[in-house]
Amino acid sequence: MNNFRDLNWSIIFAWLVLATIGLFAIYSATQGPVAAFLPSFIKNNFAKQLAWVGLSIFLVIGFQFFTPRTYMPLSYMFYGIMLILMICTLLFGAEINGAKSWLRIGPANFQTSELMKIATILATAHYLTSRRDISAENIRYAFIAVLMILIPTALVILQNDFGTAIVFLALIPVMLFWSGLPYGVSIYIVSPALTLYLTVFDWKLGAIATIFISALIFFIQKRVWLTVTSLITGIITVIGVNIALTDILQPHQIARITAFTNPAFDPTGAGWNVIQAKTAIGSGGILGKGFLEGTQTQLRFLPEQWTDFVSCVVGEEFGFVGLGFLIITFLFLFMRLLNLAGNHKHPFAQLVTVSITAVFFIHFVINIGSATALLPVIGIPLPFVSYGGSAFLTNSLMLAICLNMDFHKRDFSIYR
Amino acid sequence: MSIHSSNRTRTSIIALQLIMGLACFIILGRVFYLQIIQYDIYDELGEKNSIRQEYIEPARGLIYDRNKTLLVDNQPIYSVTITPIDFDNENIPLLADLLGEPDSLINALVNEARRYSRFRTSKLLTDIDFKTFSLVQENLWRLPGIGHQIDSKRNYPTEMTGSHIFGYLREADKQDYQQSESIRLGDKIGKSGLELIYQDTLQGDLGINYLKVNALGQSLGDFPDQRNSQPPVQGDNIYTTIDAELQIFAEQLMKGKSGGVVAMNPKTGAILALVSSPEYEVRKLAGRIDKEYWQFINSDSTRPLYNRAISSRQPPGSTFKPLMGIIGLHLGIVTPKTEIYNSGYYIRGRPYKDLAEPGNYTMEDAIAHSSNTYFLHVMDKIATSGKLNTWSKLAKDFGLGIPNKIDLPSANRGILPDSTYLNQRFGKGKWGLGDILNFGIGQGLVSASPLQIAQMTSSIVNGGYKIKPHLVHAIEKADGTINYTDNFVEKIDWVQSYYLETVKNGMRRNVLEGSGQVYGSVKDIEIAGKTGTAQNPLGFSHGWYTSFAPFNDPEVVVTVFLENAGWASRSAVPIASLIIEKYLKGEISRNWIYNHVLTFEPREDNSEAELEVIENE
Repeated sequence: MNNFRDLNWSIIFAWLVLATIGLFAIYSATQGPVAAFLPSFIKNNFAKQLAWVGLSIFLVIGFQFFTPRTYMPLSYMFYGIMLILMICTLLFGAEINGAKSWLRIGPANFQTSELMKIATILATAHYLTSRRDISAENIRYAFIAVLMILIPTALVILQNDFGTAIVFLALIPVMLFWSGLPYGVSIYIVSPALTLYLTVFDWKLGAIATIFISALIFFIQKRVWLTVTSLITGIITVIGVNIALTDILQPHQIARITAFTNPAFDPTGAGWNVIQAKTAIGSGGILGKGFLEGTQTQLRFLPEQWTDFVSCVVGEEFGFVGLGFLIITFLFLFMRLLNLAGNHKHPFAQLVTVSITAVFFIHFVINIGSATALLPVIGIPLPFVSYGGSAFLTNSLMLAICLNMDFHKRDFSIYR
Repeated sequence: MSIHSSNRTRTSIIALQLIMGLACFIILGRVFYLQIIQYDIYDELGEKNSIRQEYIEPARGLIYDRNKTLLVDNQPIYSVTITPIDFDNENIPLLADLLGEPDSLINALVNEARRYSRFRTSKLLTDIDFKTFSLVQENLWRLPGIGHQIDSKRNYPTEMTGSHIFGYLREADKQDYQQSESIRLGDKIGKSGLELIYQDTLQGDLGINYLKVNALGQSLGDFPDQRNSQPPVQGDNIYTTIDAELQIFAEQLMKGKSGGVVAMNPKTGAILALVSSPEYEVRKLAGRIDKEYWQFINSDSTRPLYNRAISSRQPPGSTFKPLMGIIGLHLGIVTPKTEIYNSGYYIRGRPYKDLAEPGNYTMEDAIAHSSNTYFLHVMDKIATSGKLNTWSKLAKDFGLGIPNKIDLPSANRGILPDSTYLNQRFGKGKWGLGDILNFGIGQGLVSASPLQIAQMTSSIVNGGYKIKPHLVHAIEKADGTINYTDNFVEKIDWVQSYYLETVKNGMRRNVLEGSGQVYGSVKDIEIAGKTGTAQNPLGFSHGWYTSFAPFNDPEVVVTVFLENAGWASRSAVPIASLIIEKYLKGEISRNWIYNHVLTFEPREDNSEAELEVIENE
């Protein structure tokens, strides 16, 4: 058994800081004066979250008594079991907020797609690092890896959980990139997302991005065919988005996009969430309105203020200082985790740590991006901060895996 | 290239750190932009979100009579409100039971409220009695979505009907609130009478209170920062010139009749009583509007909303003769001593019948016995000497044919023709003496309202002063300061006192020896007056009587106009004399006349010397 002093305490500290901020925000969002307008099952959220945080601390510490040798070989089996559970959820699951992604286990509802993330990362990483000659440069291996991610993605989409599907999809470029996909190709496969994002605002921005990305690919990879492909893909994306916006999308879908680019267009309808979220954050100012004093939070103007818009509660009541601190803490966590990955000798540990960091990062960007209207509103929780037992537990478990691989770095390497 | 080379690993880590660092930096910048650069915008937005302005209705000003008797005040009314989204239709039977109304009515009202808005609170039933209100209040917990509200309605504490004086209130419509900045949709505003004319005075200022509200619109009490709140300012009280006791008495006398009564102080123009009959019940239009009643008064053939005292336009008949006399004297056509022979007819193109006994008539005689010949003669001279327009101008100084500025809506200006008017009416050169001659006896195109005849009489008996008829003489602000309205009095410069003495004597003699003597004279009061008849092609003639008393120093002018009442001497005259007696003595001595008026039936009686004009067909 290793000495617990070797555990990466700075990451544990950042984790606890985020959990604490989350508890404060959830307390304010559900126990403050606002409680008078909330149904009782939501008022229980704080107590439940407190219990989940406590449980997770034991889990993270307890998990360190395992070694990667125990769970690495079990990844495929875990992946298989989770796929079966996902299908069960699809068949027998409970529907909450329109997504059928909850499985009732005893007294608690558990979101199977959360654990599916871990299973997918472990299994795909295990596959990509199982033999020395496997590289994502090889189309066959890359295809199998992508398929391992797309199967759970498809199930998540069938569960009607669009936000989580995006997280799964984001794993594809990250894992392939880490497994040897050339930089240029890696950039190429993420470029349509960026082009699409900019084109929604203005097709000219999309066009400029396409030219810029193609140029970047040429400088890095020096391959003409890839550059041309990138350019063509970019142009197709720009044109496709424009056609979709004018001819293909249904009015309610366009309304959702308009709500993002111009929330004032329908302030009481589709634009409501965005306007109220921005108002909450903006009116916080530098120091915020004070704990339990935020009018947007306490007068129930914020939707889903204990989960998707929890950052607005922080922004409103603790101001730029509070929200800035939250963002810096996340940044610190990401940097530390990537450093852990860099210190590993073992590719499995590297790939798993990088993938887990990417999952946290995607959640962070989409959640805060939604709340600050940088991105369209996509309902997805902020790791460790938002209310949600299974999410908190799974995120903690992912962190525990990163810590565990770091903790057992030496014997882990010998095993290889 | 090995995928596991430490070089690639290091580069990749740095690349990822750069991407994540950049993303965090962009987000941090965005948060900085929202919270620090755009703070002012969002701070205001946030504040607006959570504050709601609530208006507090001011108490409407009170209305008093000349003796400071309270005529109109406010009374709380109790309403049950509904917020349809929170209301369960299964509770309709319970609610109907508590309110004591049929299920079907409540069902209909709930549906109406739901059509208006599912989310906004609206009034379900207003003006319910306090006992029912308490019952609903006690059971509110069983009725989610039902609320209660107390507001006010006009209350009329005296027996006075006064519908045409006070007027009624109704909820302002789109047109109203677009015209005035101080009126909001749904405010109750004056729609007729003093309530309309003094709307701005009576209304008061809305109070503003700031409430803290949540996203669901629920109020959470006063906003902590109350700097901008304003308490409501009560509307100004108005003191009218009405004598409530006299008004009630006049209303009693006019019950069951159709016409108008005006009692006026001839020296100031202050209206002491003003009755238009039939009246409507202004009480039925306060609080919950009785829809059937509202439709009835709007469509009934007797037109109860029509103010006959000030809006009707009828030939004044012989009541016009005193003014004709004054003009005849002024133009030098006759003198007080001039005698004119009445043969029973005045013949000019055609015969005009004169019902007065044949013989010689001075002006006094002619007024006392209502001889047509005398005044046809005067009009004849005016017309033939080309002084029609002078005549018209002089008569207008007595308030006829011009708008009078009484503080009531829809007063009629009447008609006093001149050549311009006749040209318009008949075409240039298409009118002649035959159209003008009967102006001299107040017939033909000459027309006036009872108020105008009272005004004319006042100017004759007050020594030749123009007056402005009015109902309000003082306005009391909420802080207790009282502003008196200006008394307008202006000498008519061309009138000499002997003109007035002559016609006044004639009017006195009309009561003593002429048509007014039976019903018009009162013991110990020297009343003077002049009857008149306006021919009505559709039925009994309309009767006029204008009178004043005491003769030497007139304190009151009473003008009565009765539609389809037949002879004025037994219809309009007794009403006027009773009102004068009541006003000057405080009580009436002649109960038989009082009973006669109450049980009056119109009758045309050709034996009395009253009919001025008979078409000689």
